[in-house]
Amino acid sequence: MEREANLNYVIIGNGVAGIHAAETLRQLDPNGTITMISDEVFPPYCRPMISMVLEGAVPPEKLPIRSSSFYEEFKIEPVLGNRVSAVDVDNRAVSVNGKVYPYDKLLIATGADPRRIKAEGLELKNIFFMRTETHVRQILATLPTVRKALVLGGGLVGFKASYGLLRRGIQVTMLIRSGYPLSMQVDSEAGRMVWDELKAHGLDVRIGVEATAFEGKDSVTKAHLSDGTLLPCDMVVIGKGVFPARGLVPKEKIKVDAGIVVDEHMETSAPGVFAAGDVAESIDIARKSPWVNAIWPEAVAQGRIAGMNMAGRRTAYKGSLSRNVIRIFGMDVMTAGLITPPEAEGFDILKVADSRAKTYRKMVFKGDRLVGMVMVNAIEQGGVLMSLIQSETPIRAPREALLKPCFNFKQLMQM
Amino acid sequence: MKEVVVHPERCVGCMQCMAACASAHSRSKNLFLASLETPRPRARVHVGVGLYNEGFPNRCRHCDPAPCLLACLPGAISRNAEKNTVFIDPNRCINCASCAMACPFGVIRYHEDFTAPPGKTVAVKCDNCYERQLAGLIPACVEVCKSGALSFEEKADAMKRKTDEVARTVSAGVAQVDLAPGFTLLNAIKRQQIELAR
Repeated sequence: MEREANLNYVIIGNGVAGIHAAETLRQLDPNGTITMISDEVFPPYCRPMISMVLEGAVPPEKLPIRSSSFYEEFKIEPVLGNRVSAVDVDNRAVSVNGKVYPYDKLLIATGADPRRIKAEGLELKNIFFMRTETHVRQILATLPTVRKALVLGGGLVGFKASYGLLRRGIQVTMLIRSGYPLSMQVDSEAGRMVWDELKAHGLDVRIGVEATAFEGKDSVTKAHLSDGTLLPCDMVVIGKGVFPARGLVPKEKIKVDAGIVVDEHMETSAPGVFAAGDVAESIDIARKSPWVNAIWPEAVAQGRIAGMNMAGRRTAYKGSLSRNVIRIFGMDVMTAGLITPPEAEGFDILKVADSRAKTYRKMVFKGDRLVGMVMVNAIEQGGVLMSLIQSETPIRAPREALLKPCFNFKQLMQM
Repeated sequence: MKEVVVHPERCVGCMQCMAACASAHSRSKNLFLASLETPRPRARVHVGVGLYNEGFPNRCRHCDPAPCLLACLPGAISRNAEKNTVFIDPNRCINCASCAMACPFGVIRYHEDFTAPPGKTVAVKCDNCYERQLAGLIPACVEVCKSGALSFEEKADAMKRKTDEVARTVSAGVAQVDLAPGFTLLNAIKRQQIELAR
């Protein structure tokens, strides 16, 4: 029998979903051609760690998670420095900067871009996003002249930016539109604990306020807030979340919702076109509905599954699950799944708080399944709970046992 | 390749594996000197209490693919194929707890260790006593286990033995064969005590 011709794989994006897909592809198909396209020229690096570079805890040279010979090692042709301008689904090709790359299987792993804000004076200098290694290098370069910083957004990015700047000895004011920090990640009780911890360490947090305009001669010097305050600042970091980078997708050919909609094989509505990572929208295990879970571990899992399916090994993906772990000063916060479920829909909530030990635990159950959890401090066994949510294991052991700070694995086993 | 096998039905919860583990992962490798060291050596096997006070030695399963390895942000976690062991490099670890969130068995702890840069908290877990194995020794937890709850053997052998044990329970004329008679009795007594106390 004649062998099939070598397949042409094209991967858009060299983030963690893209590299895991490429490695999986190479493992399963030693002969296929793999082309990787990215606008970032820095070697594949760990995006969540950029905040640690800002903080000074990690030097920038520790960011790469693959060696500089990564592309050669896996026989990948890198096309770096430009964004893909168009995807032609009918002719199975993508174009970058006028050049056309044909594909048999395409992976869109473009990730997400920082959400822009509406305000006057955004063209001033020293107003930054914090998403890429380049952004952090720009922020670091201006640090010597900065004394007061303004951080917009109380989500993870705003939070890590504030933390990093505080550790650099800079005065930080944080503006949060919702009622408490990390409102997308934690419930109000845990949010309150986080807020207290931040205040105790000198962060000025303002709730229910937004920036409406920025002033300055060349670079920013003042910010006008929605409550009428005029706030002096010489740097602004915008951390108002991210949205899937799906601008290059032809919406009439590929189904797009909040992100690019994928099936359980990470394949989009266009055959041969796959999506993974922050740009993909899959079924959320806890919510049981389509959702974009733009987090690192899901990007790794989705990249691997996409790679397997692209190489012809049909493998199903169970679905994604939101989760996060944050270490703030002396406090650890871990969350997973559905944390603030809609009322009157048959969810049971169990909580326990210990103000002296500074611990808090909340479990959300639906029927006999665990669907969400929040833990503040004593998080070591959180992974067990995470995997109970992920595997949808029926919990027959007493639920209260799970609330104890050091429950044992054996308590979950049915004897 | 020999591996550590856990037989939970035989654990009496004596925690000697924990002491042996902590001392095997100390500078001095001596239990008494280890207790005086800074940072204090800590166990990487964790004996927990079940619903009825029975013990359970919880240790790293060295999964493949390992969820902690896939979740690790700085790429500090790697797999050694030769010894089927998942390692954490304390120099690359950034103490972000992403592995704690990924580990389905809850076996990773965060503290200082003599192998890590001084004063730095890192993720720590079982390394199958890699250094001891290179020196021709078996893992410390197995060496010290008196009740047979931990063994170091070829996985295929352990599975064959277990299959035979189970097969014997369905042999003709056998009412019930207890796999671990003494331990079952002990656990039954513990269970009774707890239920009476309620």
